[in-house]
Amino acid sequence: MHLPIYEIRSLKHSYGGQPVLSIEHLTVKQAHIVGLIGPNGSGKSTLLRLLGLIEKPSQGEIIFNGRRVEPFSDEARFLITLLPQEPFLMKRSVFSNVSYGLKLRGNGRDVVDKANRALSLVGLDSKDFARRPWYALSGGEAQRVALAARLALNPKVLLLDEPTASVDAASAQLIKEVTLRARRELGTTLIVASHDWQWLYEICDEILHLFKGRIFGRGRETIIFGPWQKLGTGTWGKILSDKQQLPVPPPPNQEAAAVIHVLSVSEDRSTIAGEGIILSGTVSRLSLERKTGQLFATILVGDLPFKVGLDIQQGKEHTLFPGRTIFVRYRLDQVKWI
Amino acid sequence: MDFIFEGFFEAYKLLVSGNAETYSAILATVKVSSGSIACSLLLGIPLGFCLGYFDFSGKKTLRTIVDTLMALPTVFIGLLVYAFITRRGPLGNFGMLFTLPGIGIGQTILALPIVIGLSATAVESMDQKLRITIMSMGANRRQLFLTSLWECRHGILAGAIAAYGRVMTEVGISMMVGGNIKWHTRTITTAIALETNKGQFGMGVALGLVLLAIAFCVNLSVSFLRRRY
Repeated sequence: MHLPIYEIRSLKHSYGGQPVLSIEHLTVKQAHIVGLIGPNGSGKSTLLRLLGLIEKPSQGEIIFNGRRVEPFSDEARFLITLLPQEPFLMKRSVFSNVSYGLKLRGNGRDVVDKANRALSLVGLDSKDFARRPWYALSGGEAQRVALAARLALNPKVLLLDEPTASVDAASAQLIKEVTLRARRELGTTLIVASHDWQWLYEICDEILHLFKGRIFGRGRETIIFGPWQKLGTGTWGKILSDKQQLPVPPPPNQEAAAVIHVLSVSEDRSTIAGEGIILSGTVSRLSLERKTGQLFATILVGDLPFKVGLDIQQGKEHTLFPGRTIFVRYRLDQVKWI
Repeated sequence: MDFIFEGFFEAYKLLVSGNAETYSAILATVKVSSGSIACSLLLGIPLGFCLGYFDFSGKKTLRTIVDTLMALPTVFIGLLVYAFITRRGPLGNFGMLFTLPGIGIGQTILALPIVIGLSATAVESMDQKLRITIMSMGANRRQLFLTSLWECRHGILAGAIAAYGRVMTEVGISMMVGGNIKWHTRTITTAIALETNKGQFGMGVALGLVLLAIAFCVNLSVSFLRRRY
């Protein structure tokens, strides 16, 4: 049996005494793709920096390939690489940026070949780009150069922090394809933080939901953030943009986040099975979840995205397609607060 | 006004004819200022990097002290160095009074806070994402230090030029510690002061022009290096 590539034990991290991350136990299997989902400030980037051995955790330990590691550990520093959210290039040419990590590893002879190959992987022609200085690139090009610099290293673990957040659609698609190719061809373990849930559900073996520095779910939960208000009926909830009411049980505080599990969907309110709250929404996206082979639908209820997994047969029965009006059902007693 | 134009004409003659006294002062200046700037860069860049890069208790106080020392009056440094290297001083046995190494010590003290302070500023203004990038590529501590230093090279270079300018143009240290001895410790600036007092504008202007030319060459080289790297 393979060792997990990462194991986190009793990890706590804080900045200036303010706790930002707390994970009791977490393992990541080799060659898996793990997605990190959570709102801004939930600890995704911090977790990636700790896993990337950029920072040392305030408490706890990170085990990599069976060995305890920390920043500058010789056992891991050549095997893990992190692509930060905002592309950052050193003040040198594109080629020097891409070949920097290779030179650190002493790959003197085939640096040029490897760097050129990495550039072509991300769709940049080395003849046009290799000699360009760092300042002569667009945001998308800079992000692709930064990714090429990581891919050139053939890393065992590639940590991606919002890799497609600041690039156009074409660059985003290319980045997605290239990272998956690294996993397919090199067996690279990918850990990806992104707000692009749909993409993550498509590609990931495991999804971790983070909120306020804690992992609170590993599935398809819908999370609705506060503030909450008392509705006319005396219950708590939200009035949505389409005037529907979204009731919830009494929240622990006004800013708490509610985790809602959608129990069933139907194209007809009268035929929806079971008791609970029924709201109408519109299918906004449909995709195939890689791990389970299920359909993954995002249904906009008012402005709030509800996430629902369906098997393909159900998808056919409900004739789901983007733009279709559909009803979702959840139960108040199954709403959790975080 | 005529004496000024005559001064320029005289300067031209002195420089073209290779006047030994003029070139002796130029050589002394180049030797001593280059030596002292080399020493101050060697000491000041690592110290400035540490001051700008690391957080430690007393950092702000230290930074204030360095910033204050950047404005040290040259005559005060001259006085201090004189006191130390005079025969009665603690370093009197080394016989450095009225020598170029003696002036070099003073000029190193003058340049050091400038190099430290401006290097620290360059390092402090370094993007925090640089550290993440370097570490994520697998650098060890030494490589992190060297690459970070290289990345803020333009700021450090600007500090080095400012320090070089201050060292080249100072009079107080050279006069007090060097003694303005003809053929030995007479530098461009002390020579200008002396010759002007004597009414010899020609040599003063000639040396002033040389000083300008050196500053121009240094800036030209630096500008070339910045474009190249």
